[in-house]
Amino acid sequence: MKRSKFLVSLAMALALAGLATCSASAQQTSKHPNAIALTGLTGVKDDAKGTLTVESGSLHFTHAKKTSDLSVASIEDVVTGEDTQASVGKTVSTLSMAAPYGSGRFLALFRSKFDTLTLRYRDENGALHGVIFALPAGGAEPIKKELLAQGAHASVVEEQAVASPVPANSSSKEQKQ
Amino acid sequence: MKRYSHAIFCLAVVALGFAARPSSAQPVKTKASAIQVEMIRSDEIKLPAEFQISLYENLVRQLEKQGGFEHVYRDGDRRAADAPDLVVLHSTVRGFKAGSERARHVTTVAGATSVTIHCEFKNADGKLLLEKDVNGKVRFFGDNLRATYDFAKKTARVAHDNFNSSEHKS
Repeated sequence: MKRSKFLVSLAMALALAGLATCSASAQQTSKHPNAIALTGLTGVKDDAKGTLTVESGSLHFTHAKKTSDLSVASIEDVVTGEDTQASVGKTVSTLSMAAPYGSGRFLALFRSKFDTLTLRYRDENGALHGVIFALPAGGAEPIKKELLAQGAHASVVEEQAVASPVPANSSSKEQKQ
Repeated sequence: MKRYSHAIFCLAVVALGFAARPSSAQPVKTKASAIQVEMIRSDEIKLPAEFQISLYENLVRQLEKQGGFEHVYRDGDRRAADAPDLVVLHSTVRGFKAGSERARHVTTVAGATSVTIHCEFKNADGKLLLEKDVNGKVRFFGDNLRATYDFAKKTARVAHDNFNSSEHKS
């Protein structure tokens, strides 16, 4: 009887340990699709669309079957911000300008919000680089948290971001344009 | 009458001589084979982080494209220490007005974004070689960060006009 109790408790402990390990590994890897590398990412053209992944101490940007990697430890600063962009495409927006009586400009009133994620890092020669990503609204803060958890540094509210996690859809930002 | 025509002819010859002379008004370019770009400073004026990074990245890119230097080093690059005739570019934000892309698009006269930056070109010993205020603007179309591209292009032009890796007049 004692032995069976021991076995059950052992099995439960192992199951719990397994669950904890799974959740830990799930936290280490997270994918953020619909990211845009606005500028500064080495080997990537400006405004390239792709997927941002924070995984085991690295930040990966995957686009068009290519991957650009960045060591999280080399990141000196992470800043989030927000901006807006036209809801309609550039071509449609430009063509609509020809509409009579300025009616096409009406389209410019429709704008959607997006987040910016700005990183500063140093390469192996100590040279400073900057990268700006655009993400769907509410997408920058979780990545910042992941980067800070994996060893990146931030000049603004570093201790707050680590100590009190901010909800993913939070609109509070350090910077506003 | 003949005397007048002779005088006019002489004047014309002198004028032609002046016109044909190589322009000595153009500044002599300072020899500089490499430039190091320091991070944009904005101590007094609060500048959004993405603007600061965009200014820096565009500046490095434009100097590589049209600055006329053999090497463009970034802030903190250890290799710059060995570069001969190194020029260091210090940039400080003096003015920033965040415009509105929506206002630009709707009105075409309002909503301009502008940034004014004081640029100092110094040699490796810290001696000032050139200083200039450069303005970046986006007026009609484009997102706000485009002002940083405008600034970078103008600064690279200033560098190109005043520094040369082979020390000759152009």
